[in-house]
Amino acid sequence: MLIYIIKRLFIAVPLIFGVLTLTFFIIRLAPGDPAAFFIQPGISPNVADQIRMQYGLNDPLPVQYFKWLANVLQGDFGRSFSRAQQPVFDVIAEALPVTVTIAGLTLVANFTFGILIGIISAVRQNSFLDRFLTVTALFFYSMPEFWFALMMIILLALKFPVFPVSGLNEIGAESYGPLGFLLDRVWHLVLPVSVLSINGAAGIARYVRGSMLEVIRQDYIRTARAKGLPEKVVIFKHALRNALLPVITLMGSSLPFIFSGALFIEVIFAFPGMGRVTVEAIFARDYPLIIANTFISGSLIVLGNLFADVLYAVADPRIKL
Amino acid sequence: MIEICSDRVAATFRLAGSFLIVLAVLALSSCTRHNGSDAKSGKVNAAMDSTLVIAMLGDADYLNPVIGATVTSSNIFGLIYPSLLQSEFDTTTGLMNYMALEKKLRTVTPGQGKKAPKGAIAKSWRLSDDQKSLTYILRNDAFWDDGKPIVSADFKFSYQLYGNPVIASARQQYLAELIGADKGKIDFDKAIETPNDTTLVFRFYKPVPEHLALFHTSLTPLPAHRWKDVKPDEFRHSPLNLDPLGAGPYKLKNWQQQQEIVLVSNRKSNLPKPGNIPAITFKVVPDYTVRLTELQTGAVDVVENIKPEDFTALLKANHQLEIKTVGLRVYDYVGWANIDQEEYKRSGMFKPHPLFGSARVRLALTSAIDRQAIIDGYLKQYGVICNNDISPSLKWAYNNRIAPHPYDPSKASALLKAEGWIPGSDGILQKNGRRFSFVLYTNSGNARRNYASVIIQQNLRAIGIDCKLDVQESNVFFENLQARKLDAWMAGWSIGLEIDPLDVWGSDLKKSRFNFAGYRNTRIDELCELAKQKMDQVGAKPYWLEYQEILHRDQPITFLYWIRETQGFSKRIEGEELNISGTFYNVDDWRLRPSANVAQ
Repeated sequence: MLIYIIKRLFIAVPLIFGVLTLTFFIIRLAPGDPAAFFIQPGISPNVADQIRMQYGLNDPLPVQYFKWLANVLQGDFGRSFSRAQQPVFDVIAEALPVTVTIAGLTLVANFTFGILIGIISAVRQNSFLDRFLTVTALFFYSMPEFWFALMMIILLALKFPVFPVSGLNEIGAESYGPLGFLLDRVWHLVLPVSVLSINGAAGIARYVRGSMLEVIRQDYIRTARAKGLPEKVVIFKHALRNALLPVITLMGSSLPFIFSGALFIEVIFAFPGMGRVTVEAIFARDYPLIIANTFISGSLIVLGNLFADVLYAVADPRIKL
Repeated sequence: MIEICSDRVAATFRLAGSFLIVLAVLALSSCTRHNGSDAKSGKVNAAMDSTLVIAMLGDADYLNPVIGATVTSSNIFGLIYPSLLQSEFDTTTGLMNYMALEKKLRTVTPGQGKKAPKGAIAKSWRLSDDQKSLTYILRNDAFWDDGKPIVSADFKFSYQLYGNPVIASARQQYLAELIGADKGKIDFDKAIETPNDTTLVFRFYKPVPEHLALFHTSLTPLPAHRWKDVKPDEFRHSPLNLDPLGAGPYKLKNWQQQQEIVLVSNRKSNLPKPGNIPAITFKVVPDYTVRLTELQTGAVDVVENIKPEDFTALLKANHQLEIKTVGLRVYDYVGWANIDQEEYKRSGMFKPHPLFGSARVRLALTSAIDRQAIIDGYLKQYGVICNNDISPSLKWAYNNRIAPHPYDPSKASALLKAEGWIPGSDGILQKNGRRFSFVLYTNSGNARRNYASVIIQQNLRAIGIDCKLDVQESNVFFENLQARKLDAWMAGWSIGLEIDPLDVWGSDLKKSRFNFAGYRNTRIDELCELAKQKMDQVGAKPYWLEYQEILHRDQPITFLYWIRETQGFSKRIEGEELNISGTFYNVDDWRLRPSANVAQ
């Protein structure tokens, strides 16, 4: 397996590199100008040129590419155009904790509720409860996140002001002490994490239900029941564990989400996370930041897939890598 | 086998679950604040009582007057840094007034002059008789927050930064009259002299009107002793940018990028005084609906640019709110290509545009568009029909004898008929086999322009013109405009308070970069030049009156409406004076009613 992992990692290097090269050229060929903000009446026409000079955009494209390549090979992804010329990885390092917090909590909630709802639906197949859960799950699954988030804000922050509207902390939260500050942070995270996980859990529940139904029909489940095991043991020990195999793939593919962030939720709840960094970079034509983000999400997709494959092999001895 | 397998699955899940939880807890604790130890007492309401919260759409770029280029940035650094002069927009005349401690450019009209000149570092000034040199006498009791005096050398040092091409300041245009600027390189040794700490002399290569000289020489200074060792190529990413040293009514307490900027009243300040409200938080809330909700719940006190359609619901939901307006500085227009853009790009020749090349056709288009209907339907009392780009707020120069071209489809049809446009078999006007059909482009994400463009489309269809609508991402739209790829578009301008329209209407299209329509009229060039040469600003009035008449006659574009910007305010704020020069122009004089927390 180790050899397999090393082999996959070796293949990943040119793959990610190819993605970065493509991104490099696509964003430069796309319309739009990083210095566009400085082209307006009242601002000297020289400014946009001076800014482009600073960014190294006046060189011909191949020269830009080789300069960029030389820097990237030394691990230098450059400085952001739009965010006060901070090194791009500093920008990302600031946004990452926020995104990881939300995404980490969301994934735990996603899988916990998704699996629970899936089991109930499968065990009580075709009952009223199953239908109710299925319809509810589909209802939330098909609901656009941003709309759902706004509705939750209107309901739980405006009509019944239980939770705060946006932000990571209350104004003046520094004075609460460390525990109070942490609780305030958690209080601010309830709405966004709920929105994301209700949406995500609904999808996972459908997977678990399907896979559980398949497993329940297997002979060994009938055997387990026949030998008189209590239903609880049959479901949780014999059936569920096997039914969770396909869910592992979902976990692997969720890895990029932890780092790439949930754009709509970040915009609506005013969280300075990775989703916002990426999208604002695109609108500002902040080339170095776009490439660094592509590098991170590209690497994570590759790693996530590898992770899923490895988990699969670890969990199921029938699969050999 | 199955048992082993299921155990492994369970173990995998447990492992992954605990990994995620550990990750989340780590991240949660890593984003706790670092500098929160100073305030130990108090709860939310106490903090809210002493803190004004202003919602902003995006973060400031730099809190450094040399390179901070966004309006948000200048609102904030304007509170941190001191200024050479105090400036104020006189709403009765529409003229800017500049004030030093002991001298004013103009006498203040009764009811105006809300801002005391105490914040100015200059005691007085003297413009030489040839209007080529301006000497400031500075006060000697102005200090940076670290106790060092503010001296004339700080200004000279800062102007060298503003003029340095490596730093690329967006304000280098202000240096355009200094000695050497006409030759491409400012000679700072001659252009700015500092004979002693309290004397500052600016020298120009040509005579400059007094108001313009004051405007252009009063850029915000940086403390030279703090910045002198920073190399120009490191200026933009210097860590000093995150720790500004100023002297103004507020100082920076905390800047969490993309989240909030917290300013606290600067107890030491005598320029003009410490800010009344102990703390001001500028909070980044990117989503409009959420900004509104925050205003409604009392989590923020000020939200700018509220859409008129939201007023009723907002004010009904929370009686502690009010809408305040400022303007008129912003207008929307429909641009028509006056020249054949393709031909111009190909050969540099000017050929009238086949559809919009004639002033009569453009007048017909303006007459066909029901501008009042757009105002009534969307802007309501917050919009005013626009005749040209001199705002009615600039009362000294505004030509109020010009009556707007009324909405008159039959006149439009008659004008088009006289130009040879007659209805074809499909009902669309035709001339020499060409249908009157075009695409009207606008930028995405602007509800007002979307609304207007639909009405314009209907209005034009009614007189037999086929207008298709297309919305482009803002960056792409702007690039297409500059590349002269669009024949008809809808956009807007925010005007400066000093009139200088040559960039937008000059006949030399290479110099006038924003003359996207390709409008050319030599008389407009002459009038702009004549007005510029006039040493007495108000003396240029006749030129501006004629300028407006020409634009009204030629209709290079269809001016639609002036927009009153509408800002939502919590009623717990007192003492606010909104001014065309900015919503927050006297924010250091605002007060908060302590017991009236709007959240209660």
